[in-house]
Amino acid sequence: MAETSIEAVKLVKQFGPLTAVKGVSFKVKKGELYALLGPNGAGKTTTVKMLTTLLKPTSGEAYIEGYSVLRDTIKVRRIIGLIPQDLTADDEMSGWENVLIQAKLYGYKGREAEERARRSLEIVDLWGAARRKVSTYSGGMRRRLEIAMSLVHDPQVLFLDEPTLGLDVQGRRAIWDLVREFKKNGITIMLTTHYMEEAEALSDRVAIIDMGEIKAEGTPEDLKSKLGGDKVYIEALTPEEAAEAFSELGQRGFNVKLENSTVIVKVSNAATSLPEIARVLSERRVKAVNIVRPNLEEVFLELTGRRLREEAFDSFRFRVLSHKIR
Amino acid sequence: MLSETYVLFMRETKRWVGRKPVLIVSLITPLFWVLLFGKSFNITNMINVGDLALPQEYYAIALKIVEAIRFRVFEIFGSQDYFTYMASGMIVVMTLFQGTFSGVSTVFDKRLGYMSRLMVSPIRRESIYLAKVAASVFRALVLSLTLLMVAYIAGFKFKEGFTVIDLAAAIVVVTLTSLTFTSIFMLVGFLTDSHEVIFSTANLVNLPLMFTSSALFPISQMPEWLRVIAGVNPLTYASDLVRYFLIGKSMSDPWLVFAALAAASLVTLVVCMKLSVRALDK
Repeated sequence: MAETSIEAVKLVKQFGPLTAVKGVSFKVKKGELYALLGPNGAGKTTTVKMLTTLLKPTSGEAYIEGYSVLRDTIKVRRIIGLIPQDLTADDEMSGWENVLIQAKLYGYKGREAEERARRSLEIVDLWGAARRKVSTYSGGMRRRLEIAMSLVHDPQVLFLDEPTLGLDVQGRRAIWDLVREFKKNGITIMLTTHYMEEAEALSDRVAIIDMGEIKAEGTPEDLKSKLGGDKVYIEALTPEEAAEAFSELGQRGFNVKLENSTVIVKVSNAATSLPEIARVLSERRVKAVNIVRPNLEEVFLELTGRRLREEAFDSFRFRVLSHKIR
Repeated sequence: MLSETYVLFMRETKRWVGRKPVLIVSLITPLFWVLLFGKSFNITNMINVGDLALPQEYYAIALKIVEAIRFRVFEIFGSQDYFTYMASGMIVVMTLFQGTFSGVSTVFDKRLGYMSRLMVSPIRRESIYLAKVAASVFRALVLSLTLLMVAYIAGFKFKEGFTVIDLAAAIVVVTLTSLTFTSIFMLVGFLTDSHEVIFSTANLVNLPLMFTSSALFPISQMPEWLRVIAGVNPLTYASDLVRYFLIGKSMSDPWLVFAALAAASLVTLVVCMKLSVRALDK
């Protein structure tokens, strides 16, 4: 048990007729960085809310460091930190005041509360702006303040819900660096995101979640290798040309798929297979050749038949709906 | 739990003090009522014989009649001028207005996600509710006392032999009244996610509650049916008590009413707190 930090056992959450999370189970080891990757409305936030005692599961159980999120709520809350999607800081107060209030809510008094607030602000590199009103902060600074507010009590387990949503590249890098720093210090981290680069860059293991179910789980490398290597997209001038190329490549023993005027060749390594493909294609009129290295976006596409981000509109409706039902 | 409540109370209060325009705006309406309406409705001056062209022999009788009417006015209003009567009622009405809107901050905290932050921290849910109620009661007290100060400058007449103890008693009454209203309407804030609900409930209850009480007019002048309604309106008892302590208007069993108000406020506080905490955990 010492090894497991977060454990979800068949978590289900229903909002009226709508099942947002359909029996999700996973284990996160101590010090591990685990990412829930999925489109908006996949059930990521609902899962995090159940793990952080904000929502009662309809059924199922979950444990944080061995404490039940249903029965030992206060103990769970003492050891976790949640960085929510929303910007919760009071913008009429200074960053310092916001973090100090947080320290006091965790029971620290006087000197110690101030010391902890200062340290949290230093970690996220906001000490210099601590006395300024939050309304003067940039988006990235506000996000870092949210993190500082969740650090005052030295959480053992940190939940980050879409921590880089709406940030520019620079702001995102700063958050990534912080997350890596936390991991170095042995904090167990659970991150939700719909940016596959984020999951790929940060996490030890990824769970791909869609429509409230975990579709696949593993290290980013594992998941990508399941795709069976690279894909070469050959776009021919006409569907007839494509069909010709399709059969010729098939005869040579390539794993091929035909989609209108595009031939998709699956190879273990595009760099070494390309010369031979090119030889076969020399007779054909080809408009373009694209090599797609395996990434989590492709994994998601393979598993669900959809892209991570094209769901934006539907998931918005989903959220509005689930909000109303609640 | 007390220290958590205090931390959250200070947060609310700091935000309020930081917003001076809001503070001023919430004072303006009651001040207008008291200064413009209260001052212009000068009942004592209506009954005057000063410039009446009366024969000498009637003049003395007329003066006697005026005296009798003024005595009656004093009996009804507990004061010779309506301004003093009304100002003492408006002090209590202020607490109603402040209370009915108290849920707004809760709704905003929920919408902005601050409530989630509070709910993942290891504090008692009760302290969230208590801090919000305490902050709202504090605001009501500050506004009521400011109103009283302005009224005093504008000619408010305290009773003869008025002491600090009377003032303290009146403050306790205002606090208990505020506690009652705030407890109830804070619950609305915990139940709903929409500030429109708060505004419409506030607008729905504010005026009817004010007019069906003795805050603006004495009950004795009301028709029978209205008197029945006013008799169950807590605002009536609160304004009667404040008048009893500040301007010395007589009332029956003031201390019994006082005790009843205290009991009512504590019961509503506890019941509404339990319901609010339950609403949070849904």
